Amino acid sequence: MAEAAAVGAESLSSGQARAARAVLGQLVLPGEELLLPEHEDAEGPGGAGERPLRLSPAPRSRVRVVCGPGLRRCGERLLVTKCGRLRHKEPGGGGGGVYWVDSQQKRYVPVKGDHVIGIVTAKSGDTFKVDVGGSEPASLSYLAFEGATKRNRPNVQVGDLIYGQFVVANKDMEPEMVCIDSCGRANGMGVIGQDGLLFKVTLGLIRKLLAPDCEIIQEVGKLYPLEIVFGMNGRIWVKAKTIQQTLILANIFEACEHMTTEQRRQIFSRLAES
Amino acid sequence: MKETPLSNCERRFLLRAIEEKKRLDGRQTYDYRSIRISFGTDYGCCIVELGKTRVLGQVSCELVSPKLNRATEGILFFNLELSQMAAPAFEPSRQSDLLVKLNRLLERCLRNSKCIDTESLCVVAGEKVWQIRVDLHLLNHDGNIIDAASIAAIVALCHFRRPDVSVQGNEVTLYTPEERDPVPLSIHHMPICASFAFFQQGTYLLVDPNEREERVMDGLLVIAMNKHREICTIQSSGGIMLLKDQVLRCTKIAGVKVAEITELIQKALENDRKVRKEGGKCGFAESIANQRITAFKMEKAPIDTSDVGEKAEEIIAEAEPPSEVVCNPVLRTPGTAQVGEGIENSWGDLGDSEKEDEDGDSDEAAVLDGLKMDTGIEISNHGNQDAPIVLSDSEEEEMIILDPDKYMKKVRTQTISTKQAAVPSKRPTKKRKKKRAVD
Amino acid sequence: METDTHIRADARAEAGPRSLGCSLRHFACEQNLLSRPDGSASFLQGDTSVLAGVYGPAEVKVSKEIFNKATLEVLLRPKIGLPGVAEKSRERLIRNTCEAVVLGALHPRTSITVVLQVVSDAGSLLACCLNAACMALVDAGVPMRALFCGVTCALDSDGNLVLDPTLKQEKEARAVLTFALDSVEQKLLMSTTKGLYSNAELQQCLAAAQAASQHVFRFYRESLQRRYSKS
Repeated sequence: MAEAAAVGAESLSSGQARAARAVLGQLVLPGEELLLPEHEDAEGPGGAGERPLRLSPAPRSRVRVVCGPGLRRCGERLLVTKCGRLRHKEPGGGGGGVYWVDSQQKRYVPVKGDHVIGIVTAKSGDTFKVDVGGSEPASLSYLAFEGATKRNRPNVQVGDLIYGQFVVANKDMEPEMVCIDSCGRANGMGVIGQDGLLFKVTLGLIRKLLAPDCEIIQEVGKLYPLEIVFGMNGRIWVKAKTIQQTLILANIFEACEHMTTEQRRQIFSRLAES
Repeated sequence: MKETPLSNCERRFLLRAIEEKKRLDGRQTYDYRSIRISFGTDYGCCIVELGKTRVLGQVSCELVSPKLNRATEGILFFNLELSQMAAPAFEPSRQSDLLVKLNRLLERCLRNSKCIDTESLCVVAGEKVWQIRVDLHLLNHDGNIIDAASIAAIVALCHFRRPDVSVQGNEVTLYTPEERDPVPLSIHHMPICASFAFFQQGTYLLVDPNEREERVMDGLLVIAMNKHREICTIQSSGGIMLLKDQVLRCTKIAGVKVAEITELIQKALENDRKVRKEGGKCGFAESIANQRITAFKMEKAPIDTSDVGEKAEEIIAEAEPPSEVVCNPVLRTPGTAQVGEGIENSWGDLGDSEKEDEDGDSDEAAVLDGLKMDTGIEISNHGNQDAPIVLSDSEEEEMIILDPDKYMKKVRTQTISTKQAAVPSKRPTKKRKKKRAVD
Repeated sequence: METDTHIRADARAEAGPRSLGCSLRHFACEQNLLSRPDGSASFLQGDTSVLAGVYGPAEVKVSKEIFNKATLEVLLRPKIGLPGVAEKSRERLIRNTCEAVVLGALHPRTSITVVLQVVSDAGSLLACCLNAACMALVDAGVPMRALFCGVTCALDSDGNLVLDPTLKQEKEARAVLTFALDSVEQKLLMSTTKGLYSNAELQQCLAAAQAASQHVFRFYRESLQRRYSKS
């Protein structure tokens, strides 16, 4: 860690760009410049520091790289805009894959395709207004439910919880949610039951929990039978058999944020005994 | 900004949990959240944390003339502020009902209970008394503001020391802390508020409700009490009807809680006094928990500034005067003059306008504007910036008022430069700097 | 205090006639300490302490809405009394600095609100406000072009330069200069000065502030490194 800090301070002071490959999983700060690996290989290790990589198809390397959250492209340079750990996902078939910054923020910004938990705040005409924690409420058409028709309206009251997906989400437009997939099926979406508890965690924790091989979920599943819904907007709805169990689960998830894997294991083993 | 709405499911769950005597944070019905008191380096400054609710208290004093009908009494003034920092729904500079209610309750709890000896604050009867001002800032709102605020107020008052004074004839001498040790206020007792939330028309009761519990409660009973079990004020709000027994039970609980909190406060004050006496480190820097990963400290860092002189000389040497910055003024009609060609239209050039908020620009712009008004010479700022937007702001007025000498000086150099078409040496460096910053 | 600076001047006499061994007071920072705001930070420089809370990108009032970028607001709350002209002027300086680095165009029609609470003032308050605001913005995950920091320099009557002055040093100083610098190229984002100083002294102060900013940014990095050490 100390070494990493020294390297960081050095590059920060000279304003030099660092190779994205070299800092994978490390902390990056707003304003830093990253160099993509394809370019490094082409230029050789010596030349990497001098010239930033072209993101646009250059004659030498034609690799598509997706610039995820926390990164931005500025001309031919790749710049960091958020603080967090740099992550990279290997591409499925060819290309440079996806780079993004894993930050621990609390405020949600709607993203198309995200599954979120919203609270209905108003009914206005043919749409519901749903609070998702973003900068403005999302709109949800009453027809965007499985089996809904003009006659057969879904039973949604103000204050209900909705689990849905964004079909429109960009910075310039009002976000729009639906509770059906492209085939018109609910697929788990819709109004969430009246029982259970809703609570908030950071967006980073949600991403961690939703990772395919998340051990927390597996451990929690062993403790009690439960129903659980994760919204990408940092909201978790959980329901167990009793109020006591639901409360314990909620507290576990909230505490997970500040624990290492080792600490978590201890907690779970202690809970499993009791 | 609006508050996040409370969903039906949360409401239902909270009420059901309360029926089962369970609380979200694992507390029992009569439990307070953990209370943490930390002191600043100044006297009369403290931060009180009640769970996640956080209040900053600061006491200050001033010599003023007393109220006409109370010539021998000092003045106590309380002000609780609900900063937007505490919750998004708190609007700045708006007196909400909640704020008025809380301030009134604090006054009743602390002023009307006569816990501070106001007569000891009198310096010269009818002429000079101390006005003690208690400022409380809510920093984070997680329910039960009043308890946290009342604890912060009394802790800050206990911690406060006012400068010593002496009266000789009609002359009042104020001593600095170095001359004479400042004196503490004389405090008779410590009133502390205890809040009780009622649910289901008073069937269920919770002590120290948090924010979510406050949202679903039916009514609130606040009892201010000191450790001698004397009730200082009592207030029931929310319009629920309470039985005599319920109120009595609450006062009993309040007595126990207030005794506990008073003990904690005294311990904290004693601790701080000890640290100060021994000359140890005090202040908020010491109260940051070192083991938290969100906290970080750095010791005093020496900085090598040996080469700043050379650097400065280098920059000044490099900065050659620009060849033609000011052109000859054109006289259109008598009494007016024009310098330069006017600025370019920068419509649609939004990327640039974002960056041009540097102080230097507006500073210069203010000078230019001032000149325009004074002498009637029409000067336009050449360069790549859209100055008119900056000009129309009120900042320039402040600049002129705050630094009259500097402004005068600048206007002078400016006039010289326009008249003689010569450039003072200060101008080019400024120009350079600005360019660097805009790049 | 005067004698103190002389001693320091003597100690570093060989380094240069005017530049002494300057130092920054001890720094401390705690992030994410408030539960309600989207980002928060408490920043301490010596005994000066400022608490900052950031909300954003959040909903914006229609009257303040800007169609192509986020509305950036800065509120500075004094510890005693109500905000006055001095606070308004500082709010403006901080707002302009933030505006220069925050990528507001990514979140049009939203608001980014920075609330600063003075916890204790023991000199270099504006610089501390800037540092607290930057750490809170980073904590909130607001997209930024670069980080920024504030550095205050004071020039005493002998022309000696003091970095990160205390309240007493500020009062005795002939001129007090505060700069905001960005992390990428240490360029000047904002400067505000009080008192008389020469052209050369301005450049010296700026060079010293740039040297000091390196330390502040290293402090930022180490502090954030620690924060992300468990993720």
